[in-house]
Amino acid sequence: MIELLSIPGLILIAGALILALVPANVRPGLFLLFPLFSLYYVMTQPDGYVITGSLNGIELILFEMDALSRVFGMIFSITAFTGGIYAWHMKELGQQTMALLYAGGALGVTFAGDLLTLIIFWELMAVSSTWLIWAQRTKESDGAGMRYLIYHILGGGLFLSGILLHYAETSSLAVETIPAIYSLPNILMLSGIAVNAAVVPLHTWLADSYPKATITGAVFMSAFTTKSAVYVLIRMFPGWDILIWFGAIMAIYGVMYAVICKDIREILAYHIISQVGFMVCGIGLGTEMALNGATAHAYSHILYKSLLFMSTGAILYAAGSSKMIHLGGLFKKMPWVFALYMIGALSISGLPLFNGYISKSMTISAAGYAHEEVAMLLLLLASVGTFLSVGLKLPYYTWFSRPAVSRTANENLTTETENQSTDLRPIPLNMYMAMGLTAAACLLYGLYPDALYRYLPYAVKYNPFTIYHFVEVMQISIMTLIIFWIFRKKMAPESILALDIDWFYRKLTPMLNTLFVHKVDRFFDVAEERVLGIASSLSSWFQDPLSSVLIKPAATDQSPPSSNRQSANYRLPIGWMMSFTLFFMALLLLYIL
Amino acid sequence: MKSEIKPIYWIPVVLVVLVLGVTFYLEFAYLSDYDSHWWNQIPGFYALFGMVCCTIIIFAAKFIGKKIVNRDVDYYD
Repeated sequence: MIELLSIPGLILIAGALILALVPANVRPGLFLLFPLFSLYYVMTQPDGYVITGSLNGIELILFEMDALSRVFGMIFSITAFTGGIYAWHMKELGQQTMALLYAGGALGVTFAGDLLTLIIFWELMAVSSTWLIWAQRTKESDGAGMRYLIYHILGGGLFLSGILLHYAETSSLAVETIPAIYSLPNILMLSGIAVNAAVVPLHTWLADSYPKATITGAVFMSAFTTKSAVYVLIRMFPGWDILIWFGAIMAIYGVMYAVICKDIREILAYHIISQVGFMVCGIGLGTEMALNGATAHAYSHILYKSLLFMSTGAILYAAGSSKMIHLGGLFKKMPWVFALYMIGALSISGLPLFNGYISKSMTISAAGYAHEEVAMLLLLLASVGTFLSVGLKLPYYTWFSRPAVSRTANENLTTETENQSTDLRPIPLNMYMAMGLTAAACLLYGLYPDALYRYLPYAVKYNPFTIYHFVEVMQISIMTLIIFWIFRKKMAPESILALDIDWFYRKLTPMLNTLFVHKVDRFFDVAEERVLGIASSLSSWFQDPLSSVLIKPAATDQSPPSSNRQSANYRLPIGWMMSFTLFFMALLLLYIL
Repeated sequence: MKSEIKPIYWIPVVLVVLVLGVTFYLEFAYLSDYDSHWWNQIPGFYALFGMVCCTIIIFAAKFIGKKIVNRDVDYYD
């Protein structure tokens, strides 16, 4: 029983329960302890270490350690720790416990040795992360959180149904490589995971919800959901050709939207899709180098993406808006945030000496070595867009150009200072510390890649510091910079909303609502009205059945209505009765004869 | 849109030209017989690639934004 508490996922989940019981001023410090414990176990457990359990006769592998799960376990623990520092100033219990539960879910998925354990942690991630969106408490975040939850319930449902069918077919629940056969259970499992990996066209939940999550919540969200899905893809679906092309499409789709979008957190959200595209492409290639590349890129990506979300979160915290149209000219006021942001931006752009360089170039080279030259060029095209939008457009319009609209004119300004001046809200020290730590890690891995390479699942024979890679990356980046400078006004901030595929369900929902709720409601209303109308006319008719047959005597016009009820007025003339009786007698006679 | 930083443009310009020059020098000095992909035959391919792709992305994004996806911020309200 006690060994259950050496499972990293369960350490964090227990931590979330303990956090709820301690006073508010102890919570931020205590929060940090659990990821540290988890990191300690991840680093010290030997390969092949297994903890099992059983449920109703089904053998469960609650924890299984190998090189791949260790590297993901390390980065998830580290991010939970730095995210905890970043959120030190935030005293809200709900967000603290949910963030820890969320990290626990991601770590649980990473070390799950069977699909049943995996899906339980998988669903835990979906539920706990939804809280981090709702905690923003705006009308937009309420809607986005609900859409996010529904999407993930759908994804989890697809995954679970795939698992059940897979179990029925193979009687195995092991998390293992699935042969590339497009059978129903495999397709269901793959689509369930693809929802979490934000594979286009199942990606809309990400760009919809991350920009609307809380400042601290977005940091956690950028790390866990998509990357745990990448981990499961590496485990189960390596070498599935279809992923190469889905990955390449994701990489380009994400950057195109990042160039179109005008909200800094939305730009970063679309870049998650793009960067996860690199990983998915690597997984599709399936070679040892490509899988190493995907793993290394997931590791690097978590670091620089959390750094980018931290620094844009700091801007939102200070300036009260993340829309580029309200930003600009912040360099003098926030030079350190700019410097830290740029470390993240140059990392994601894959420039030499930053950690994106050591992992992105590995994935792209893996495509080259696998002779997938079209995929390689598509990934290079996506890298151009990455540098253009995150490395150039976003910082230029946030820190340098003049604001297009004064920040004070923005009614959503959350600065709690009484004076309505353009003064920025001071950023807490802990935010700087978290950003500094993460930036240092980006530089460390960029300068000393072996610190990461030694933990990768396969032996690394790749050296990123070659003249060829340097020339490749620098020529592309410098030309991107020049072209950006020439056409930078084409990307000027505007107050717009960019539609995505979610248009179909966001516009369809009101339509379906009208069709299946309002129309049905209206139908029942009308039907009820008609039935009541018929009933009331029938009842009045049955009071005087003859009134509709008879021609009313002229007397009724003069006499008051009460006189209508006199039976004499409604008696049929005797001739009518006689002819009616004779007619039926004749009919009867005819029949008998 | 005028930049708020002091117009010491020549420093970045010199840097950009210098780095680009270095990459071309390295390419012609060390990579002339490098041949792992068909495009390695084309001198300065990656510079050309960066230039063309960046222009395509900027204009394609502008086009897609303007003609297809951009709406008012309260579109879904």
